[in-house]
Amino acid sequence: MPATLLELVRISKRFGGVVVAHDLSLSVEPGAAVGLVGPNGAGKTSLFSMVAGDLRPDAGTISFDGAVVNRLGPAARCRLGIGRTYQVPKPFERMTVFENALVAAQQGAGARGQDSHHRAFASLERCNLIDKVNREAGSLGLLDRKRLELARALASGPRLVLLDEVAGGLTQPEVRELVDIVRSLRAEGTAVVWIEHVVRALVGAVDRLLCLAAGVVIADGDPVRVLDDPAVREVYLGTELAIEGTV
Amino acid sequence: MSAAGELLAPSAIDGTGFTVRRAARSSGWLLGFAAALVVLLAFMPALVSHGDTSLLVNVFVLLTISTMWNLLAGYAGLVSIGQQAFIGLGAYSVVVAAINGMEPFTVIPVAAVVCGVISIPVAALVFRTRGGYFAIATWVVASAAQLVISSITSIGGGTGHPVPGLSSLAPGEFANISYWSALAVVVVALAATYLLLRSRLGLVLAAVRDNEDAARAAGTRVTLARGVVFVLAAIGCGAAGALLAVTQLQVEPVAAFSVQWSAEIIFVTLIGGMGTIEGPILGTVIYFVLQQNLAQHGAWYLIIVGTVAVAVAIWFPRGLWGTVTRRLRFEFFPVRYQVVGPRPQDSGSPT
Ligand SMILES: Nc1ncnc2c1ncn2[C@@H]1O[C@H](COP(=O)(O)OP(=O)(O)O)[C@@H](O)[C@H]1O
Ligand SMILES: [Mg+2]
Repeated sequence: MPATLLELVRISKRFGGVVVAHDLSLSVEPGAAVGLVGPNGAGKTSLFSMVAGDLRPDAGTISFDGAVVNRLGPAARCRLGIGRTYQVPKPFERMTVFENALVAAQQGAGARGQDSHHRAFASLERCNLIDKVNREAGSLGLLDRKRLELARALASGPRLVLLDEVAGGLTQPEVRELVDIVRSLRAEGTAVVWIEHVVRALVGAVDRLLCLAAGVVIADGDPVRVLDDPAVREVYLGTELAIEGTV
Repeated sequence: MSAAGELLAPSAIDGTGFTVRRAARSSGWLLGFAAALVVLLAFMPALVSHGDTSLLVNVFVLLTISTMWNLLAGYAGLVSIGQQAFIGLGAYSVVVAAINGMEPFTVIPVAAVVCGVISIPVAALVFRTRGGYFAIATWVVASAAQLVISSITSIGGGTGHPVPGLSSLAPGEFANISYWSALAVVVVALAATYLLLRSRLGLVLAAVRDNEDAARAAGTRVTLARGVVFVLAAIGCGAAGALLAVTQLQVEPVAAFSVQWSAEIIFVTLIGGMGTIEGPILGTVIYFVLQQNLAQHGAWYLIIVGTVAVAVAIWFPRGLWGTVTRRLRFEFFPVRYQVVGPRPQDSGSPT
């Protein structure tokens, strides 16, 4: 296994005048749990989209498991082991919860027949969706949509999971449930990169924290130290992170 | 065990006590009912007049092409308004084959395959566009096909060409063979659609229907799935076009490549319900009931058809069948998965 699972080298991306990544380099080790914070519009979601293949960088290379994946689309990257959740959940609304996970198990993980059923079921069980397996996904509430987003990513058999604000809009016990799931992923060696505004959730679940601002990594390292970094405090001045970070 | 029973057999999820089966409350007897209906339809020529069987030929043709369009637009997200390209090419394949001495009825499957082959380079072209541009691109392809065919004088140019080789059949015999051919085409089209939607690819198509981005993120090869559907739809529309050629004995480019086909297909599929197998069936029945009862009223017919379309679009955005299947969790053709647990499920059978 290579020493780095995901490697971004000098990535740049802009939308007109908005810079979402500026000469950004970053690597993630297998099994690492990395938190990603930064003010709104910093480019966090765009970074995920570039890793997952939904968005092409203007410059730079993205490697996964030792191979450059720049030219691969999102489906191919999912099959390689990159699973993502969307900040705004995108369930297959007219399909059942089970069918949602089954798509990922069959297509993302390449499972067939009973094996695919088993895989889909296991990921739903893990995300506490078993009592809703036959529900149409479009009828789910926010918490269940977030759970399903995670379950579908897990059913695809990822080695790297990209979580985009899965805890946003949830209550504290609900957040705790998701944190526990992420902890268990890390325990079994799946790498996680987790974007979250609820920093309190992150600190307990990651061993490294990155702060992104205007497409640049301004701090990277031990979560507590990153939150105390003056540069981080500067970009967050007067926002909820500053408040939560001092708790 | 019967074929239907095997298709419906549940499979256990080891070590959980749960099993997976297809569909909610529908069951094998519905498929049995469908089979009985096909047998009954096969005997129709003995029961009704040739006028009625020739009406049914038109019903089967419209149902076939609507079922194909439903796969395209209702599942693969490919809103084509150019399926008449393949209807016309299917019809002209029969003309060309018959001119060269082949038996017109036996050419129907060949014409279908020809359209499937032609659709591959067409897909490579039109798949470069998305959404509204895709719709326009397919329409442009259909118009281009019409222009090309109209310019070939050996097959009648713009005025069309009769289908030779059918005069040896007695009128009654001809009507019966036409009817059975149309029945065979529609049954094969529906059965293939059903099996496709039950397959792994069917699950992919349902995902693409619901959210293309999420489908890709879950690992599905969306473009490949779309390509398969595009080719299948061309095959189905080609068969329907070939049927029209043999049953009407004459092919004219303006009629065969008419955009009117797309209007009918869209009406039928939208009122019945996109993204369900049953939708186009219900839509086709409604369309022909309206047509048979109202066509003599001229403008009123069009006004009522338009009103029905608007009313359904407003109050039943999933179409009539789409609304039924959602409320009752009922499918005539069971393609969905149902997880049955050791505990009562919140949406399974009532406790
Ligand atoms: N597809 C796009 N087209 C144009 N601008 C975009 C697009 N996606 C994101 N942006 C812009 O890029 C910036 C970064 O967005 P995003 O990556 O979503 O930030 P974050 O997730 O850190 O809040 C924002 O200003 C956003 O408006
Ligand atoms: Mg974001």
